[in-house]
Amino acid sequence: MSYLIDPVAGATYLLMGNEAIVRGALEAGVNVASGYPGTPSSEIIENLSRIARERNVYVEWSSNEKVALEVAAAASFAGLRALCAMKQNGVNVASDFLLHLVYSGTRGGIILVSCDDPGALSSVNEGESRYFARQLEMPLLEPGNFQEAKDMTKWAFELSEELKQIVMLRSVTRMSHASGNVTYGELPNTKRKAEFKFKGFILDPDEGIISSAPVEWRHKEQQNKLNRAKEIFENSPFNYYEGPEKPELLIITSSACYLYSREALDVLGLKDRVGILKLGTTWPLPPKLLTKYLAKTDKVMIVEEVIPFLEENVKVLAAEKAGEVGIKKFYGKNEGFLPMVGEMNPDLVINALTSILGITYTSVPQEYDQSAKLSAFVHAPVRDQVFCPGCPHRASFFTIRKALELEGGNGFVCGDIGCYTMAVRPTGFETLKTVHSMGSGMGLASGFGKLDQFGMEQPVLAVCGDSTFYHAVIPALINAVHNKSNATLVILDNGGTAMTGFQPHPGQDFNVLGETVPAIDMARICQAIGARVEIRNPFELNDTLQTLTELMEDKRGVKVLILSQFCALSPQRRGKKNYEMRVDETLCLGEECGCGRFCTRVFRCPGLVWNKEKGKAEIDQVICVGCGVCADVCPRGAINRKEVA
Amino acid sequence: MEEKKVTRGQQEIREMVMAKGLCTGCGACINLCPYYRSHRGKTAVLFPCTVENGRCFAFCPKVEVDLDALSSFLFGTTYEASPLGSYRAIVTARGGEKMKGVKAQAGGTVTSLIYYALRKGFISGAVLTDREGLLPVPKYVKTPEEVLKCAQSKYSAAPTLASLNEAVEKGANNIGVVGTPCQILATGQMKMYKDSYPIGLVVGLFCTWAVDYRQFEPFVAERIEIGRISKVDIPPPPAEILQVFSDNGTTMEVPLSEIRPLVPTGCLYCIDMTSEFSDISVGVLEGRPDMNTLIIRTERGQELVAEAVKDGYLFIQEMPRENLEHLIWAAGNKKSRGLKRALEENLINVEPLSYLRLNGETLNRLIA
Repeated sequence: MSYLIDPVAGATYLLMGNEAIVRGALEAGVNVASGYPGTPSSEIIENLSRIARERNVYVEWSSNEKVALEVAAAASFAGLRALCAMKQNGVNVASDFLLHLVYSGTRGGIILVSCDDPGALSSVNEGESRYFARQLEMPLLEPGNFQEAKDMTKWAFELSEELKQIVMLRSVTRMSHASGNVTYGELPNTKRKAEFKFKGFILDPDEGIISSAPVEWRHKEQQNKLNRAKEIFENSPFNYYEGPEKPELLIITSSACYLYSREALDVLGLKDRVGILKLGTTWPLPPKLLTKYLAKTDKVMIVEEVIPFLEENVKVLAAEKAGEVGIKKFYGKNEGFLPMVGEMNPDLVINALTSILGITYTSVPQEYDQSAKLSAFVHAPVRDQVFCPGCPHRASFFTIRKALELEGGNGFVCGDIGCYTMAVRPTGFETLKTVHSMGSGMGLASGFGKLDQFGMEQPVLAVCGDSTFYHAVIPALINAVHNKSNATLVILDNGGTAMTGFQPHPGQDFNVLGETVPAIDMARICQAIGARVEIRNPFELNDTLQTLTELMEDKRGVKVLILSQFCALSPQRRGKKNYEMRVDETLCLGEECGCGRFCTRVFRCPGLVWNKEKGKAEIDQVICVGCGVCADVCPRGAINRKEVA
Repeated sequence: MEEKKVTRGQQEIREMVMAKGLCTGCGACINLCPYYRSHRGKTAVLFPCTVENGRCFAFCPKVEVDLDALSSFLFGTTYEASPLGSYRAIVTARGGEKMKGVKAQAGGTVTSLIYYALRKGFISGAVLTDREGLLPVPKYVKTPEEVLKCAQSKYSAAPTLASLNEAVEKGANNIGVVGTPCQILATGQMKMYKDSYPIGLVVGLFCTWAVDYRQFEPFVAERIEIGRISKVDIPPPPAEILQVFSDNGTTMEVPLSEIRPLVPTGCLYCIDMTSEFSDISVGVLEGRPDMNTLIIRTERGQELVAEAVKDGYLFIQEMPRENLEHLIWAAGNKKSRGLKRALEENLINVEPLSYLRLNGETLNRLIA
């Protein structure tokens, strides 16, 4: 039995933040959970899927976040409790449906869990999902520790049911992926029956139709719900104050920044001078609570990550309540005390506090900082982000790079989101020239492919992964074909949503619950759309290169090249080596003309190492996965592959 | 301050040859390493190489060509920029009695000489140029019969030397090469690079310019079915036309003025019409579509011609004076055009890297 479904109330476990959210959802009796994989959110759906049978939860990986939210909303409409999880930019994808959902309202408790990634540790953006709560007028909760992550999740379902509105629970990387002690509550044994009621009065929230119209009436209802949330938040146990009765400075903070603020006060010994108002309900702000604490002092500092969401909201409220609380001096991002980009940390809070309060304290002495930077520069080897040994992306981009050079050298590839995004770096031969959101590589290629009438002669390519293809590439491909664009799409099909941990996608014949399901054939989709489609194994370098150049030379419309090869780490490969690789030192040319360390300097699979003393290449047998590609890369035939029985 | 070291590798090829548009796609840098590749008539640099002294640089006919060194090495004299280069004799020629019935271009002199050289073991293999559609494809042949398949002119820039490099890599010896002036210049530099370079015979072709395949192909495809092309010809002056014949009897004929825009820029810097660094050079003969002009430059060339004539594979006659004068005039024209352009672009005798280097005396004479 998984520790996540330990029935003992009061038991304490060390849980990752995302696990705490899962336990909270289970204690709330969640019935349906959906999502699209994306760091740092993926463990929520994965952990739920593992206990799905035991707890009778329906769990799915949906094709994208909008569909995921629709799947969850359907459960809510049928009176069930539902959770939908995604990373920050997933909320943008889901936002169109969400805009209408907040008008129509919900029935069974439903929560949208957004795991944001300040500092873009595993994203190509540090987007803010919190603004959606304000823009779309729905309640926003932000846990400030791991126990709260569990408790708040459970409560969010209850709040949602009370308000008949979706509730957004926002985590961040350091909350989702760090761990802390969590004491369990009870697991319920209630069973809900799913039924969508629609035969009542048209505006009846429980039995009428569910729609965003009549818009003004629904919108007013929605705002009434928000006002009700404000009242509830005034007394929420997730909002609390720590500090002296009359602090010199009041810190207002939420989420992981609460922990950074506490640590900063601890380090500086300021607990008697500075108070912290920790908020768990960050939208709408409870006005009475804020008024009470704003009145305590004239100096207010707001600690939060990335853009000043909380800061702006507090300032508006302080202006509204200026008659009661007086004029405040604010110390936040707009005043330059804290950065508006990247992650927050205790040092940044310490620096802000010392400057506000005139304290002398250096978190990192300047000499130390300088000598650390110097020795890192002098002694640390350059370690770029690289594809794994035997990664099919390396072979694919090796070929794409060659094809681009053969076709004149001025062609380019529009990138997309996956491990292969790293092909902007040398590991992918600096092949990608644009990277945006999922599906936008093909969308951009569709647009570039129409610019010939303005003299553009550059070959246009796009790449996407297999999961990305189902997520958002299909509409872009349809657009390109329908509008007679001239572009080539290369689908890097590595048999799963590899970057986030091999979650199944619609192209596979199994789902997250391990059931056999129909696989949706991407080649047939592309053919049905009207593209010329070729399928190759990227490990067959020459075959792939010839096919790709032929496709690029075919100026008649949209071409699709599917490069199918399992990810080197994939469960399907099971760590099996296909080949035993060896370098024949008598043939290896090393640095001589004719090679110039082609395998270790250009191809750069980490499984190939350069032996400086010998001046020869070697195989690192520990990490080589035996894909065999380097044997075809070596110009001298010095790398031998022997089939492993 | 430390002086910046001038390396002679791929970086310089990129900057001096590729970026300036000097590359003619001759193939001298192909198949030496994994960095260069020819595709549809053009040479591409696939990945950056850091080898400081590369064979690509040493062989390339468009960078640091030391004409004096080359001329001294091959002919024992400094470069004098005479229109036809160093030679021993100039005659007219065609295939001999033994070559009757062979379909080739003009007099079939090149085909006959290579056929004979292979048959007699004068060379052990030959690097020739075949054609797929309109695309010239380099080919290494080992038997006289295979030579016949490669007969006929191509007119598109071809990476012929890619085959030479491949044959050398595989250990071939005493290789015959047939090529255009840029390719022949490269073979000279190969011989200079290493004394024992396994080139046994160099047959140069006359060349005023070649056309860029990537432009030529669509140009022809608009007019004639590419897959059915049987012959491409530029008849001797004063015809001023290009003809493309197909096996279904249709013919395309366009004035050369329409073709000249398809000439790669690299050709416009060329100062050599008659493949001056060959053993033997062969070209058209004005007013005589059935004969060739044959320039014999070296002892080796002379020996081959003499034996081929003796054994009935080649027929030669004296070169009419007016033909010789015209040839000198045409070759001189090309030389001065190319030199003028290279001087204008500051590509001769400049530091750190030049396209051409030649002795000041000759250069001054040319400028004057």
